Amino acid sequence: MTVSTVAPATVEGGVGTSARRPDGILKVAGEFAYSSDLWADEMLWGATVRSPHPSAEIRAIDITAAVALPGVYAVLTAADVPGARHYGLEVVDQPVLAIDEVRYEGEPVAIVAADHPETARRAAARITVEYAVRAPVTDPEDALSRGDLVRHVPVRRFASAGGTALTADVVVTGTYEVGMQDQAFLGPESGLAVPAEDGGIDLFVATQWLHVDQKQVAACLGLPAEKVRLSLAGVGGAFGAREDLSMQVHASLLALHTGKPVKMVYGREESFFGHVHRHPARLSYEHGATRDGKLLYVKARIVLDGGAYTSSTPAVVANAATLGVGPYDVPTVVVEAYGVYTNNPPCGAMRGFGAVQACFAYESQMDKLAAEVGLDPVELRRRNAMTTGSVMPTGQLVHGPAPVADLLALVRDRPLPPAATGDPRERPGGVANTTRGEGVVRGVGYAIGIKNVCFSEGFDDFATARVRLSVVGGEPAVLVHTAAAEVGQGLVTVQAQIARTELGVTKVTVATADTSVGSAGSSSASRQTYMTGGAVRAACQAVKATVLARVGRAGELALVDGKVVASDGAVVASLVDLLGNDVVEETVEWRHKPTRPLDPVTGQGDAHVQYAFAAHRAVVDVDTELGLVRVVEIATAQDVGKAVNPQAVVGQIQGGTAQGLGLAVMEEVQVVDGVIRNPSFTDYLIPTILDMPPMAVDVLEMGDPDAPYGLRGVGEPPTISSTPAVVAAIRAATGRPLTRVPVRPEHIAL
Amino acid sequence: MRVTCVVNGETREADDVWPGESLLFVLRERLGLPGAKNACEQGECGSCTVYLDGQPVCACLVAAGQAQGRTVTTVEGLAPGSGEEQLDRVQRAFLATGAVQCGFCTPGLIVAVHDLLARDPAPSDPDIREALAGNLCRCTGYEKIMEAVRLAATS
Amino acid sequence: MTMRPITFFRAGSIDEAVAAVSSHPDSAFLAGGTTEIDLLRLNVVQPTLLVDVNDLPLTYLEDVDDGGVRIGAMARMSDVARAPRIVERYPGMSQALLLGASEQLRNMASMGGNMCQRTRCSYFRDGQSPCNKREPGSGCSALTGINRGHAVLGTSEQCIATHPSDVAVALVALDAMIRTIGPDGTNAIPIERFFLRPADTPSIEHPLAHGELIVAIDVPALPVARTSRYVKHRDRASYEFALVSVFSAMRVDDAGNVAELRLALGGVGTVPWRAHRAEEALIGRPATPENFAAAADAEFADARTTPMNEFMVTFAKRAIVRELSEVTS
Repeated sequence: MTVSTVAPATVEGGVGTSARRPDGILKVAGEFAYSSDLWADEMLWGATVRSPHPSAEIRAIDITAAVALPGVYAVLTAADVPGARHYGLEVVDQPVLAIDEVRYEGEPVAIVAADHPETARRAAARITVEYAVRAPVTDPEDALSRGDLVRHVPVRRFASAGGTALTADVVVTGTYEVGMQDQAFLGPESGLAVPAEDGGIDLFVATQWLHVDQKQVAACLGLPAEKVRLSLAGVGGAFGAREDLSMQVHASLLALHTGKPVKMVYGREESFFGHVHRHPARLSYEHGATRDGKLLYVKARIVLDGGAYTSSTPAVVANAATLGVGPYDVPTVVVEAYGVYTNNPPCGAMRGFGAVQACFAYESQMDKLAAEVGLDPVELRRRNAMTTGSVMPTGQLVHGPAPVADLLALVRDRPLPPAATGDPRERPGGVANTTRGEGVVRGVGYAIGIKNVCFSEGFDDFATARVRLSVVGGEPAVLVHTAAAEVGQGLVTVQAQIARTELGVTKVTVATADTSVGSAGSSSASRQTYMTGGAVRAACQAVKATVLARVGRAGELALVDGKVVASDGAVVASLVDLLGNDVVEETVEWRHKPTRPLDPVTGQGDAHVQYAFAAHRAVVDVDTELGLVRVVEIATAQDVGKAVNPQAVVGQIQGGTAQGLGLAVMEEVQVVDGVIRNPSFTDYLIPTILDMPPMAVDVLEMGDPDAPYGLRGVGEPPTISSTPAVVAAIRAATGRPLTRVPVRPEHIAL
Repeated sequence: MRVTCVVNGETREADDVWPGESLLFVLRERLGLPGAKNACEQGECGSCTVYLDGQPVCACLVAAGQAQGRTVTTVEGLAPGSGEEQLDRVQRAFLATGAVQCGFCTPGLIVAVHDLLARDPAPSDPDIREALAGNLCRCTGYEKIMEAVRLAATS
Repeated sequence: MTMRPITFFRAGSIDEAVAAVSSHPDSAFLAGGTTEIDLLRLNVVQPTLLVDVNDLPLTYLEDVDDGGVRIGAMARMSDVARAPRIVERYPGMSQALLLGASEQLRNMASMGGNMCQRTRCSYFRDGQSPCNKREPGSGCSALTGINRGHAVLGTSEQCIATHPSDVAVALVALDAMIRTIGPDGTNAIPIERFFLRPADTPSIEHPLAHGELIVAIDVPALPVARTSRYVKHRDRASYEFALVSVFSAMRVDDAGNVAELRLALGGVGTVPWRAHRAEEALIGRPATPENFAAAADAEFADARTTPMNEFMVTFAKRAIVRELSEVTS
């Protein structure tokens, strides 16, 4: 059957409009139910006992004193886990509760349920664990030499067959470090597990991927998947930190054990131990180029500290390796990327996912090279910019638009912000009056990054959508049901927009995401608008085909404003009349074009689905005597293919840019001998509104013919290049090498 | 202990309150008002901002007993009724400008902005930034929050 | 339910508050609570009786002694910061108040409570690490740990925790007086004697008897303070403790010599740090950048640093020179 090819007109609230969030009113009214807001009759509170040691053998656990405390309903340890005692996203290696040993500080050892959170915490404190402390392995190079390897990804591509000698007229080298960054979402890990009459569990939780949680929780509970039903509770931000499990299995175990609903809510400190972080990295680069700045080769060695368990380290390593030279044409590439196990906190997914660390290094190198050959940094980048038809270091041909040179030109050509006025709040130090202009130097820096969109390396990446069209209250109405996690990015808005556009119906409801519909995959890798958006569109098109088949002239018809309309604009039928009491429902599982694994020796292969690009220009004023930095402005240019919701797109770009700024100048989880020293918002600083500058945004819409509506994943690219742009600007102001982020005042002014 | 206070215009009582509990916990878990949020519970993020006797404070650092006999207004108390047209102008401005993403910082920010505009009906951009420096947001980079405050001030 | 037993009592009068705390060994006053409630939840402090002093009639600001100000202990930081007589007579103190914490915290935090606020040393706050301040005799983890933000002045082998207050820096420069009422009657403590350096007893931070309540802070008249300033260098543009802060009030005579100087530092000392040596080095001397630098050197002559925090000495000296140069210009 053919479906109308009439291009969808701009529909009110449809694709391309800045439709309002359907959850917006509840959110501004304080009535949106986040995972920490849930409540049930007879509800108990869970608490977790965590290891104070980064590495230790567990000799004994004594729960007697905790059990004896009035108000305590359950105290559980590894022995009480009925199913699989380990879980994991890719590799099942992380214990639900520690078994005989702990491998990082904060590893869960026991869990408690009690009738008040303070009682639960008190009981947890009365559990005595006898540890035989071991010396932790905390240096990634030590780990590598010991063979504690998670994954090694080589990428080797040579300009000429057999030509392995790396020589060039101009060679610049550098070693760079990226500190451990925290996602610092505001809504802590939390959820409510409710025991069900069928012996299963209903789990209401904030997550990025309901089905991967379901699979892991069911395995650990020893239950079939259908008895573990997950619903998405309100998610207070994610940024990668909710891709791994946190309290899901624990709350479920306690609920099944006590027969009562159990709520778990992490405090901020516990949250720093409750999720994975961005991998700290050490990256050594060598760039060879001609005297006029044309890249000849890039050689890199990247070591990422994966911490105690695998999490998503293998995919992060692959990203760092395959995207490790940036959005440039480089004839010869030799990259060796390693992820290692240590006794540091586990690291995994965070916005940018391996591309962030590499970008700080390769963009620092590009600036160094520009200085070496005497070229403007933007000009150097433009000379080497990849384009459509370029070949990635993996050998993959870039089919879609790759407007790298254009994005650089856009940020370069924006007018520069004026010099600071007399308002002391516009100087470094701001309200604190630290300078009246003494020692203040302005600097401008540029960077551009590349990110893969969707899951790579042959992963069976799909999303499911169920779309139902019926007449409700005398008008046509659409119900969209997916398991895709709205984490703040606006996915619920986008799903409704797509349904309006495809079905010409204004009244669209997006059902709460849950596991009663098929998997949508993860809200990560900038993939959900592409994937779940693609699935919703496909399901809508299936519904449309069914409806139009009733009219019998499908090829010529469109759905507009609740009516079936012929190509000449004549109304053929109204949906209300056509449907009557019928319900048309279609469920579609949708896939992007397949990818291939990387060759384990050469790193060659069509591993990625789509590439996305963003460029930044940062302007900073630096107090060169006292090291304070004020970011005056950040301009971003990003190609989004199609801005499905322009307001939300700009929001993603600005928010992502802010997280990159944070990494540039303040954010780092400080780990000493495997122990986190700053697990609080007192000591782990994220930017305040006074730290953030105005952020001008240029959005390019160069459609990708392979993607729904031509769209390109938006969420991650802006996080990637803002860090090196800010640091480049500080370098321009100070002349300091600044090879490590975050940059601190003492690195600038001593 | 029993804690009695006027919350959003109504006298409310909470029984069996442990004196170590915060006003935030009492509001969220005992009075059914989860609007004030529990992002850090250490006074470092502003997501739990409520009015206490007319002054914005972090409810997480107010002991339950300190609220005894006081007047509390939470984000739930700012709108006179439900429905978009009944929302306070600050709430409407946050919606219109796209200042809400995950929304976890939103209730605290809305109370803080409500207070700012009551004190200063036409704040400059630096004034806005200074007044909101106690409210962390991780999603937006604050640009659209700035837009929301400017819009609210003129509506 | 089995919670830590805590009794809450709201005092109706000063006498009632003092009697309640002094008659109970594990009790504590509760003022604004912005530090105490946090530490209570962290199990760093574990009182079993909290005596709420928020109803006491101590929120006043009143004139004393021909131009001085008496600040009630329960006056909120935000109210004091914006009080016209503070802004006019002690602008540096107003600035110090406004640069502390956030508006929400300043609305709750009291002046008396601020004098008693505890260090942000993460080893003190984590409730587990050896810490002589929290657990006398257990050792000091900060000496060899993460100590980038720790004190370089007034330290001991027992403790290098930094005093976190901003407004207390202004008050030590202004020679304020802490007025108390305790079980043994009223007392007046010069502010520099109120903040005890750690020495061998880091857990004892103030010379207060159990049950002794701060009721007021007297700030004496000081004409030079009318041009005082407070600047604060920190890792983030707001809502963050000082790397180094400087309170200064200086008068230069017609000959270009420093006639009067009040100088105090935050972020670098175990107590709010009055820069006596720098003051002495400058009084009567020409107000020149060279002399400012020499005075800053003198102040930090005995600084004890670690590899992580030695930059603070350089920064603090630069901040002092810049600040005094600005006041002069």
